[in-house]
Order: sequence, then C-alpha cells, then structure tokens
Amino acid sequence: MEATQATPVKYDMEVVRWFTIAAAIYAVVGTLIGVYVASELAFPFLNMDLEYITFGRLRPLHTNAVIFAFGGCALMATGFYMVQRTGSTKLWSNKLAWFTFWGWNLIIVSAVITLPLGMTTGKEYAELEWPIDILIAVVWLSFGLNHIMTVAIRKTSHIYVSNWFTMGMIIMITYLHVVNSMAIPVSLTNSFSIYTGVQDAMIQWWWGHNAVGFYLTGGFLGIMYYFVPKQVGKPVFSYRLSVLHFWALTFGYVWLGAHHLQYTALPDWTGSLGAAVSLAMIIPSWGGAMNGMMTLSGAWDRLRTDYILRFLVVALAFYAMSTFEGPVMSIKTVNALSHYTDWTVGHVHSGALGWMAMVAYGAMYHMIKKLWGVEKMYSESLVNVHFWLATIGTVVYVVAMWVSGIMQGLMWRDYDEYGTLTYTFVESVSAMHPYYAMRAIGGAIFNLGAWIALYNIVMTVRTASAVRGANAVPANA
Amino acid sequence: MTTNDWLGVFFALVSAIGMVAVYFMVFRPSNKDTFEAQAGMALDDEDHINVGEKR
Repeated sequence: MEATQATPVKYDMEVVRWFTIAAAIYAVVGTLIGVYVASELAFPFLNMDLEYITFGRLRPLHTNAVIFAFGGCALMATGFYMVQRTGSTKLWSNKLAWFTFWGWNLIIVSAVITLPLGMTTGKEYAELEWPIDILIAVVWLSFGLNHIMTVAIRKTSHIYVSNWFTMGMIIMITYLHVVNSMAIPVSLTNSFSIYTGVQDAMIQWWWGHNAVGFYLTGGFLGIMYYFVPKQVGKPVFSYRLSVLHFWALTFGYVWLGAHHLQYTALPDWTGSLGAAVSLAMIIPSWGGAMNGMMTLSGAWDRLRTDYILRFLVVALAFYAMSTFEGPVMSIKTVNALSHYTDWTVGHVHSGALGWMAMVAYGAMYHMIKKLWGVEKMYSESLVNVHFWLATIGTVVYVVAMWVSGIMQGLMWRDYDEYGTLTYTFVESVSAMHPYYAMRAIGGAIFNLGAWIALYNIVMTVRTASAVRGANAVPANA
Repeated sequence: MTTNDWLGVFFALVSAIGMVAVYFMVFRPSNKDTFEAQAGMALDDEDHINVGEKR
C-alpha cells in the first residue's frame, strides 16, 4: 500500500463497533431460534398449538436472522472497517453509515414482527413482504453507495482484493434482490410475484443460489482475504490467485441457480448447465481456500496459541469442503438421491456454520481488540472454548443431517420385487427422529458457543471502557 | 432465436471472453510483480491507526 498520508487517518469506527456488537447479539438470537425449530421437528409438542411459533413461521425467521441479521451486520462491520483501513481514508459519509445501521436493524425488527404473523411471500430467503423489500433495497444501496464512494476517495492507488469482493457482493445482491422481489402488491402485507410457474422458480433459485454465492461466499471471502493475513501477520500467499478467485467467482456463480431445479419443469439443459458450471467452480473455490491456507506457511505453529486464527483456518477447511460437496450434489445422479432430503440442510449448515459463522467470528474477535484498543480479549480461554463448541456443534449437526439425508433418500427410492415402495413416507419420518434430536443437540452446542462469545465480547468492551474512563485515553481503532 | 436468446448468447460470449482476458492478465509474467506487490496491503495499514471517533 502506498503511504501517502503524512498525518494519521481518523477513521469512522463507532458505527463499525455497533455493527460488530449487533452481529454478536444476532448470532445468539438467530441460532437460538434455529435450535428451537430443530427441536420442534424432533418433538412436535413444542409447537404448542400456537401458529406463531410453528416450524413454518419460525424457520424463515431463523434463516433471516442468521443470514441477514448476523451475517449482514458482520459483513457491514467488516466492509466499513476494511475499506477505511485499506484505503487510508475515513468513510465517505459517516451519517449515511448510521442510516445503514438503523435502517438494517429496522428491517430485522420488521422481520421479527411479520414472519411469525404469517406475512410472507413464500420465496425462500426472500420471504419478507414488498414494503420491507423496498426498505431493504434502499438501505442496501446506502451501504453500497457509501462503500463504493469510500473506495473512490481512497488515498491509495490500488483497491485491495477484499474491497473487490465486497463491491461485487453489493452490485450483484442489489440486482438479484430487486429482480427476484418484483411483485404486484394487493395490500400492505400481501403481494404476488410478477413471474409465474417455472419462470418464478428459475428467478427464485437464480436469487437463492447467488445469495449464497455473492453474499455468503463472496462477501465472506473479502473478510477472509483481509483478516487471515492480518491475524497471521503475513501477506496473502498469492495475490494473483486472489484476483483470479474474485473474477472466476463473479463470472461463474450467476450460472448455477438451475442446479436447484433438477428433474422439474425447467428445461433439462438448464439444470445440466448449472451442474457443469458448479463443477467448474470447484477449481477457483479450492484455489482460494488453498490461498488462504498457504498464507499460514511458516506460521502453522501459531494455531497452538492463537485461538482466533483457529476460527479462520477451520472456516477455510469448511469452505473447501462445502464448495466440493455442493457441486457433487448438483450432478443429476447424486441430486436424484439428495434433493428434498436433509442432506441439503447438512450441506447448507456446513457452509453457514462452518464457513460463514467461523470466519465472521474470527474477524469479529480480531476487530474487537483493535476497535476497543485492547491487547487481549477479556478471556482468551473463552475464545478457545467458543472455538471448540462451534466446531463440535457444527460437526454434530452436519453429520446428523448427512446420515439422515442419505437414509431418507434411500428409503424414498427403495421398492420391492413387485415395484411397490418399500417404505411409506411416515416410516421415513419416524426413522429421522434420532437424527433430528442429534441435530438439535449440535445446534444447541453451537448456540452455547455464541452465548459465550457474546459474554466475552461484552466483558471485553466493558473492561476496555472502564480502563479508558480511568485513564481518559481514547481507544485505538 | 428470440431477442432473449440473442441477448443470452451475447452475454455468455462477453463473460467467456472476459474470463479469458482475466486469466491472460493475471498469469502474464510481466504482471506478476505488479500484482504480488499488493499482497501485503492488509498488513501495511497498521501504520495509519488512529483514534476511533465518538459520535
């Protein structure tokens, strides 16, 4: 980076602090709702005959909470943090950043109210009704405008690769959200998609997979390319590979959505194309994962003592695993077994818990020490405890869903010598029970880790504030 | 071929050519030093740390 600043830069970091704390809170809430809905599947009496807390209404609340509340706040915190630090400049507009913060939280509150009341478009990962969709577009654009303008006013000649990933996410998610959410309102709380039939399905999964591709993958890869080198204290193993990683994902991901619709009314070739490009995407994905891993070359011993680095490295391992598993599941022969089963749920959670949450927590721990100017977290041991709870919880969850999903698929397709199905659907549901319980336990272990992280973060902030108050020294950012 | 088909073909070709151009740019030996000079950019920003403001 070209240091053109004679005087130190004053960054706008207060909004980053708030986004970081919000992310830690939403991680607890989102995963707690997840544990509850998982428990409802294992023990249906937990529905309590209340429509507001049935699986159908709470499940979208869980996905919205973890993806958009936890993930969104983590992305915005790190996005605003990285763009300032790598550009040697403050935000283009601090006020706009605060608008983004409060607007994003207003959207989350709106989701908490409307989804349990049953107000939904019924489109997966895009359930919120049209007035909230418009608010999402406005607030997301405020984040995008601020980020892109901050890049524009940077004091460095080069735009670091993390900012490319964030900008790619901003542009593509704007495009995807607006197109997929196009609807004809019939009231404030109800609307109908402007697309019909198979086109609606195609648009929905073009959005659905690219929310994964650009938001949960691209955005978090931006985090990885900044925070792994920072935590290791070594430059990115290959910067050229990181550039290639970005462009390959950007070109490739938009083709994949149709692999969610194999064996449907969609033209057959579109599913084949989706699967073919999915398989091709293993190359840049693994290249990126290796690039992150190899950044640790000569510093692997740090994993013994650096608990934050453990989060980042395990996240990369899960990233590599998920980006291999996904393309394999998109192949038609595998998809015939896996689709509509819990194998898909296991795959999603190996990405969401193992990759997204792990890399987000690694970045959050790193940022908190910088943002509040402390050398250590309140308890480094609790970071380690959190790491193991998160890892074990994720593995228990994912293994339960892998086993149950494959069993489910095999039971559904099994038939006897007369061509009659061997098992009824209810028998397959009954067979799932132990795995559903195991999944809930895995989720609960992960959730316990999230509580510990929140406690550790709050105590770190309180301790830092107390020291700062006593010494009247401002925190470094 | 409808307009949509032609648009699809156009964007597919533009994407494919763009991807080839990126590979060429990234792997061109003369560009290696230019790219790799940025590898430590995330580390360099420690020099510019300053106080975080209060709202």
